[in-house]
Amino acid sequence: MFRIDRRTLQNFDWVTFTTVLAISVIGIMTVFSATRQPGVEAQSPLFIKQAVWLVIGLLGLVVFVSFDYIWLSRISLPAYITGVVLLAVVLVMGKTGMGAQRWISLGPIAFQPSEFFKLIFIVMLSQYLSFLRSPVNIGMLLKAFFIIVFLPFVMLVKQPDLGTAIVVLIIFFSMMLAKGLGRKAVAMIVLIGLVSLPFLGNIMWTGLKDYQKNRLIAFIDPQADPSGIGYHINQSKVAVGSGEFFGKGFLHGTQGPFRFLPERHTDFIFAVFAEEWGFFGSVCLLSLYLMLILRGLDTFRKAKDDFGRMLAAGITFMFCTYFFVNVGMTLGIMPVVGIPLPFMSYGGTALLSNFISAGVLINIRTRRFSLFY
Amino acid sequence: MNRKRAIILNTAIIFGFFAIFLRLFSLMIVDHKALSERAKLQQIKTEDIQAMRGNIYDRRGREFAVNLELESLYCDSTEVDIDKEKVNKLSAVLGMEPKAVRAKFEPEKRFTWIDRKLSPQKAGAVKALLGISANAETEAAEGFGFVPEAKRFYPKGTLAAHVIGAVGLDNQALEGVELKYNRYLKTSGRKIHLERDASGRTLSLGVNMEAKGDDVVLTLDEGLQYIVERELDRAMAQWRAVAGTVIMMDPFTGEILALANRPTYDLNELNRAGRNEVRDRAITDVYEPGSTFKIVIGTAALEEKIFTTESTFDVSRGSIEVGGKVVHDAHRHGVLTFQEVIQKSSNVGSIMVGMRLGKEKIYEYAKRYGFGDDTGIDLPGEVSGWIRKPERWSATSIGAVPIGQEVAVTPLQVLRAYSAIANGGYLVSPHVVSGVRTHDGQTVASFGRTERKQVISAKTAAIFKKILETVVEEGGTATEASVAGNKVAGKTGTAQLIDRRTKRYSKDRYVSSFVGFVPADSPRIAMIVVVYEPKGQIYGGVVAGPVFRNIADQALSYLDVPRDDVQDKNLLLVSK
Repeated sequence: MFRIDRRTLQNFDWVTFTTVLAISVIGIMTVFSATRQPGVEAQSPLFIKQAVWLVIGLLGLVVFVSFDYIWLSRISLPAYITGVVLLAVVLVMGKTGMGAQRWISLGPIAFQPSEFFKLIFIVMLSQYLSFLRSPVNIGMLLKAFFIIVFLPFVMLVKQPDLGTAIVVLIIFFSMMLAKGLGRKAVAMIVLIGLVSLPFLGNIMWTGLKDYQKNRLIAFIDPQADPSGIGYHINQSKVAVGSGEFFGKGFLHGTQGPFRFLPERHTDFIFAVFAEEWGFFGSVCLLSLYLMLILRGLDTFRKAKDDFGRMLAAGITFMFCTYFFVNVGMTLGIMPVVGIPLPFMSYGGTALLSNFISAGVLINIRTRRFSLFY
Repeated sequence: MNRKRAIILNTAIIFGFFAIFLRLFSLMIVDHKALSERAKLQQIKTEDIQAMRGNIYDRRGREFAVNLELESLYCDSTEVDIDKEKVNKLSAVLGMEPKAVRAKFEPEKRFTWIDRKLSPQKAGAVKALLGISANAETEAAEGFGFVPEAKRFYPKGTLAAHVIGAVGLDNQALEGVELKYNRYLKTSGRKIHLERDASGRTLSLGVNMEAKGDDVVLTLDEGLQYIVERELDRAMAQWRAVAGTVIMMDPFTGEILALANRPTYDLNELNRAGRNEVRDRAITDVYEPGSTFKIVIGTAALEEKIFTTESTFDVSRGSIEVGGKVVHDAHRHGVLTFQEVIQKSSNVGSIMVGMRLGKEKIYEYAKRYGFGDDTGIDLPGEVSGWIRKPERWSATSIGAVPIGQEVAVTPLQVLRAYSAIANGGYLVSPHVVSGVRTHDGQTVASFGRTERKQVISAKTAAIFKKILETVVEEGGTATEASVAGNKVAGKTGTAQLIDRRTKRYSKDRYVSSFVGFVPADSPRIAMIVVVYEPKGQIYGGVVAGPVFRNIADQALSYLDVPRDDVQDKNLLLVSK
């Protein structure tokens, strides 16, 4: 099962590996800068924790490169069932963090099953889709939705982890697109979407928690209550805008350490980075993400089998969704949804899960020629 | 099929990135100015925080004005989160009405003072109450904070109050050296920038406390000042006087060594002081000098060689009629020499001298001594006094001006005139500050004002000095001003106050003064003592003379001035 030979090393996807490593190191630096306390000797230990998680993440990546990803298809069903059960467990007895139940404590370790569930979900869906014929028609799409997506989606909404729920939904549809949808299916989706939008919107709106409603209001009109609900967006824009072309310099940002910026080391870490490194640094960082995503799409194109293609597409879309929603929110062009920036934001479980995902991507690319053995 | 989809996806992704770059550009480059202004606005709070003023030291480096670092409580009303009970407790600690405290929370401002310059005890109690202190993590009340501020503190209280002056609550200079030298004492930074974090906590602790104004060094000597004030207090009590002034000066340099007025006030409690207490009579009040003004006709007559010390005057009538008005001597005398006219302070003799001089000469010499003009002392509020021009003198003026009536002078002007006798005939520029230096000791400015304006010849000064010496000797008017061991030269003055209601000289309200210097042969200190409205006795020699003696006695030993009679009595100086 484990096959690390000369060929594996030769074909190893160094581009993806180097990119995610570089982003993670930048992430740790930014976490340090964002959480530093001006005028205080003792510094926050968060960046050290994050560095430890980076090492764990690298180990995870190596493990997930070392075996042929085909093996993942064999454990996809049990993994999926375990994942759904864990989500249920969180719903019942999860530890409350930030007004939502997302954590499970296993002794001293607290982790977020939803972080890993995304990957399990992608594996499961890839496995399922690899048996379908392309293009997918509307019946198959609905079937896939109700078998694989519906249950976990409801549970995620209930947690509530709206961010992950939406990401799961987006991944589902984009993987469907990657698989190839028939024209009729596309037309049906658009039609159903248009018809149900007012109802869905209404149901969603009444179902939203107050803070979620406020975020939407704030997105539509940030100046409505600048120190209240529009605060996140305004402060984030102020931080980014303070950067100018070359930024204030590392450790010279003020919005983060002075605690004007909320969630400065997690969801809004890009604002901290932008303030310190300016437009130039931001473009460089975003280019790394662009490289990661384009490389992922290339892997999607070159994968040796349908399962690998779907897997690569799903993981890339996941990174892509996280990236756009997070940066969009930081720049005030998307509503505030509490999802982190992959590889940058502070958070151990997320970093590990992202590294494992990157590992799977590398795995698919590295073994793209295995067919000819 | 895969290829086509991949191209579409790639295009979509790149388009998305392009949108993000565009947004970044608009935020970071186009809107940069406006957004970074907003960052500054919320991070930096410009407040008039009182930083450290410079210190004020006496000539030997002893502190007269320093700063205490106290803390002021403010609130960020957008964040204030406090329950009613705590507000009540807080008001109790601060000694304010709960209503007044709550009113501070009203305006939607991120910075409102609640109470300033709290004592350390109060600040501690407030911190404990609000849970602000570093170790007390128990539910800190949101929206409150402390800023350190400098409060002026005068460790000597009332000592030299009229020289030092005082500052208000906002450290604004109000009086004295504090006002005159404010441009040195105040910090160069008028506004202090406070960097704040989101909850309004001050991040730059110390608020630029390092930025400190320059220190001012006085010519005053705390020891001499103390002696002067103690003796002035005694005199005030003994004579139940309304007011009093003593100025001690180095007659050669014009350095003020001590300056005291009564009534006075505590510099730390300026708000409780009335105008009467704050007035620096030494330079802001004029009075009719009386006989001390005879220096003008005395030296003028000698300088103009109209009389010699041995010229005689028949004053046996005890009065003289001038322009229909009769002026009396206080005591009956027979025939007096010129020297005795001054020694015994004969009004009749002085008027005779004055009539020979003529009003032009009297006016000229009075102006030479600086009467009617500012002395230019470096304290605020000095008045120049006045003396009428000769053409505006009335018929009786020639019988009044020579003996120090119909003129208005300040005690400092009189002292400066007598210093000219002490130093060989020149006018000094009185001053209270010798220099300004930075807090780490570098000289910023030094004021060694030695503008010497010769007003009488050294010879005349020497002759008149001898005459002044006889004033305190047997037969003079101020025998009680003589100091054991050192020769004193001086002159008494006793002037009637003008009754405000009747516009005439009052029968029972006098200004008694003595001005002189010691040791006469090589003067170290020149001093004037003015006592306003003494009760029981009125004569300058009796009321002010002993004050002069008591102060001079202690001052000379404080200054280690040897006795004149060391040689004569064969005394041995033994150092301890």
